[in-house]
Amino acid sequence: MSIKVNNPIGKKHRQETSSDRFQWIGKRVPRIDGPEKVTGELQYMTDRSYPNMVWGKVLRAKYPHARITNIDTTQAKVLPGVICVLTYRDIPGFNGFGIVTPDQPVLCEDVVRCTADAVALVAAETNEIAEEALNLIQVDYEPLEVVADAEYAMTEQAPQLHPDGNIHSHVKINNGDVNQAFEEADYIFENTYYSPRQMHAFIETEGGWGMLEEDGVLTIQCPGQYAYRDRLQISRALGLNPESIHVISSPNGGAFGGKDEITVQIYLALLALHSGGRPVKIHLSREESVQAGMKRHPFKVQVKTAAKKDGTIIANQVRAVADTGAYASLGPAVIALAVEHACGPYKIPHVDIEGFCVYTNNGIAGAFRGFGVNQVCVGIETHLDMTAEKIGMDPIEIRKINAYRQGETSSIGHVVKSSVGTHQTLDKAQNCDLWVNRASYKKQPSEPWKKRGVAVATSFHGVGMGIGTPDYGAASIELLPDGRLKVAVGCEEIGTGNGTVYAQVCAEMLHCDMSDITVVQGDTSETLDGGTVTASRSIYTGSKAIATVAPQMIQLLAETAAEILHTPAKNMEIENSTVIDKKDPSNSLTFIEIYDYLSKAKASTKVNGHFYLPKEKEEIKGSGGAPHHIYGYMTHVVMVEVDTLTGETDVLRVVSIPDCGRVMNLQGLEGQTEGGAIMGIGYTLYEDVAIEEGYHKTKNFADYIFPTIRETPEIETIPVEDPEPTNPFGAKGIGEVVMIPIIPAIMSAIYDATGARVRHLPATPERIFEAMKPMNKSAPISSR
Amino acid sequence: MKNIRFHVNGKESNVQCPPAKTLLDVLREDLELIGSKECCGKGECGSCSVMIGDEVICSCLVLAGQIENETIITVEGVGLRENMDIVQEAFINEGATQCGYCTPGIIVAAKSFLNSIEHVPTTDEVKTALGGNLCRCTGYQKIIKAVQTAAKIQNPFYAVK
Ligand code: FES
Ligand code: FES
Repeated sequence: MSIKVNNPIGKKHRQETSSDRFQWIGKRVPRIDGPEKVTGELQYMTDRSYPNMVWGKVLRAKYPHARITNIDTTQAKVLPGVICVLTYRDIPGFNGFGIVTPDQPVLCEDVVRCTADAVALVAAETNEIAEEALNLIQVDYEPLEVVADAEYAMTEQAPQLHPDGNIHSHVKINNGDVNQAFEEADYIFENTYYSPRQMHAFIETEGGWGMLEEDGVLTIQCPGQYAYRDRLQISRALGLNPESIHVISSPNGGAFGGKDEITVQIYLALLALHSGGRPVKIHLSREESVQAGMKRHPFKVQVKTAAKKDGTIIANQVRAVADTGAYASLGPAVIALAVEHACGPYKIPHVDIEGFCVYTNNGIAGAFRGFGVNQVCVGIETHLDMTAEKIGMDPIEIRKINAYRQGETSSIGHVVKSSVGTHQTLDKAQNCDLWVNRASYKKQPSEPWKKRGVAVATSFHGVGMGIGTPDYGAASIELLPDGRLKVAVGCEEIGTGNGTVYAQVCAEMLHCDMSDITVVQGDTSETLDGGTVTASRSIYTGSKAIATVAPQMIQLLAETAAEILHTPAKNMEIENSTVIDKKDPSNSLTFIEIYDYLSKAKASTKVNGHFYLPKEKEEIKGSGGAPHHIYGYMTHVVMVEVDTLTGETDVLRVVSIPDCGRVMNLQGLEGQTEGGAIMGIGYTLYEDVAIEEGYHKTKNFADYIFPTIRETPEIETIPVEDPEPTNPFGAKGIGEVVMIPIIPAIMSAIYDATGARVRHLPATPERIFEAMKPMNKSAPISSR
Repeated sequence: MKNIRFHVNGKESNVQCPPAKTLLDVLREDLELIGSKECCGKGECGSCSVMIGDEVICSCLVLAGQIENETIITVEGVGLRENMDIVQEAFINEGATQCGYCTPGIIVAAKSFLNSIEHVPTTDEVKTALGGNLCRCTGYQKIIKAVQTAAKIQNPFYAVK
């Protein structure tokens, strides 16, 4: 049948970047969940309460590394008001979790490896009683040597934290002959860079509910980033059929990767099995969240870069060591992505890159927006600037010389077949006001002892999973009794506004108003398994999944209408939630009438669809999953002002130039570029969770500085739209790349302002001041 | 246990609770006003912001015993979906909320600020007014814009400073 739908999958549309022919896609549509958020009416899962509820609490390890010799829960169990006290003995299934390697015990049995480790669980009538019960649990420890440094962990003297040793993974990419290239080089730059242990600092801490329903189903309501995988990990620990577990994982009060791994879901599940059917709530205090939650991997990155006089980079050698803390979680994937991206979006012919994911007793590190690329982009970008300065070339020009285009071979040796927007982003950077007029902006510091600098950097980030990890999307659309359509996509709403884009896509494809669409996300009984909300994949994946299933809904509507109206289905057209016979427009049926007919016939009103994300055919041997098929690209231009008396630095202006393929919703895109810029500023200038000898010195927000509204610069977003042919609308991904090039850009802008290079982030006033000292000696500070 | 009497969102409330219970817990648990959020519990983030009289305070730092006879406005008192305030509409239209968990506290702080001025605030003025409210998602730029937009709509005759 030939239903006249505005089929965006058609080849012709792929090249179009204007969104005019679309009613909803590409438009600046306000968020569909805005009203309930601004009024406080949205109930997050941690806001809920149930009659007859009980409170759950977790006993964390007292030492960062110790042997457990005994656990005695007798006193805690007899405390009035205590409902249950659980230890490793009460785990019916497998005592472990972890996305890649399940090496983290749910409840420790014989050894604790970091202060995030859980040793026992309590459920009690009140939060206070639960707290008191924790104090009554007697755990005897024999403290062991603490491994506080990743390089030390790699040596033979260090205590081995896991049976296979402290090096959890070692990945590498080799291409060409770096040694030969270093001999042929005109310039060589060699530096070591250190990156911070950034905290996600989502405003809603980890928490949720566990409930054993009357029908035997175990319901876990807990903000997460992949309900189906959470369910799998819960079922494994409980030895339960996943089908008997219902996980609701959306909405989230922020995640940024920090809720990708299991947070408290398994604790909730265990307690719910022992609370006599009463709902159990856990909601971590900020202090517990700081201690127990995943952080960004701190890296030590050694980079050696060879350049020619004409500005071409001919070799790059990188050795990256990542501190994954006590457990792997997504550490091996983070380090693999770091290795894949360590040479930037360039075509460097000779590279030698290796990365290590190393265990220590420093809490736990896991997924975080940028996923390893933040840490490694700094080396190559800084060395490009150093080369440019040496040969007197413009920093944008040198990037253009080295950046690959679509169809060219990247530094890691694969031909990039998908869309590449680097050159367009660099063109926009070159022509933006801040760059064009940088000399005059730099002449206007706010105080005579302050200095301004302007710099540029570019980077990229893979979209979706690499080779070796299954990657698929799924969506369903259901016609509801009131004629509305319910679109269900697994990817959770973690704040990004992906749900609004799903409504836009569904309305576009089904020719109805956005207000006629209901969106459901992150619920194992409502949504199909469509993968994670990570890896910058949820817009690409969700939009394509909806576009895959929508034709089936159109077919269902048209064929049903045809049957009722006794007209051929090919004559049917859809407009404003109505199916119309185009030969006789008076012959029409509303979606409500079609629903009624189907429901009387006891026919399903729901359709499902899925697809596999495109992948590269061949993995680069030893790389741990490279290359990706699709990448998003981004250039940042920033202006900073450094106080030469104190080292304090403000970012004054940011120009964000993303290539995320077609922009699906401009307001949502700006939400990402603005939020990502601020998170990148925090990473570069302020943020670091202090851990000493395995103990967190950072406890709460009072001693963890991240940007407030006062630190917000003027942020301008200039999107470049290089449509990705494998997405029906041309979309790629945006969530992570938005905070990446801004990091080296700020570092270079500090150099531009002061002549000082800071290689250890965050670039605190002390570090900047120290770096400026040699400069201050030789050249007294001039005013203006 | 103590009987505490005060006004919340225009209604008189009577709560029986320990006088050391935080106002935030009283609002969330006893009055089921879950708009105000706990994030740090230590006066650092502003997610729990409410107005006591004209003043914006962190309700996680105020104890029930201190609010006897006070007049309190929470985000629900600024407006609900059926009677949204200008500032709430501006936040939606400007895209100033993402995950939304910080939003109720920021709405309260923004509303109180808008009540106190008779002009369209400069960026720096908004920054000072909202300096105590942390948001991890938005980057704040759209929040600044939303407050300025609300000020313009609140009184079209306001001078742009
Ligand atoms: S929860 Fe009250 S200020 Fe953070
Ligand atoms: S919108 Fe998520 S913290 Fe502000």
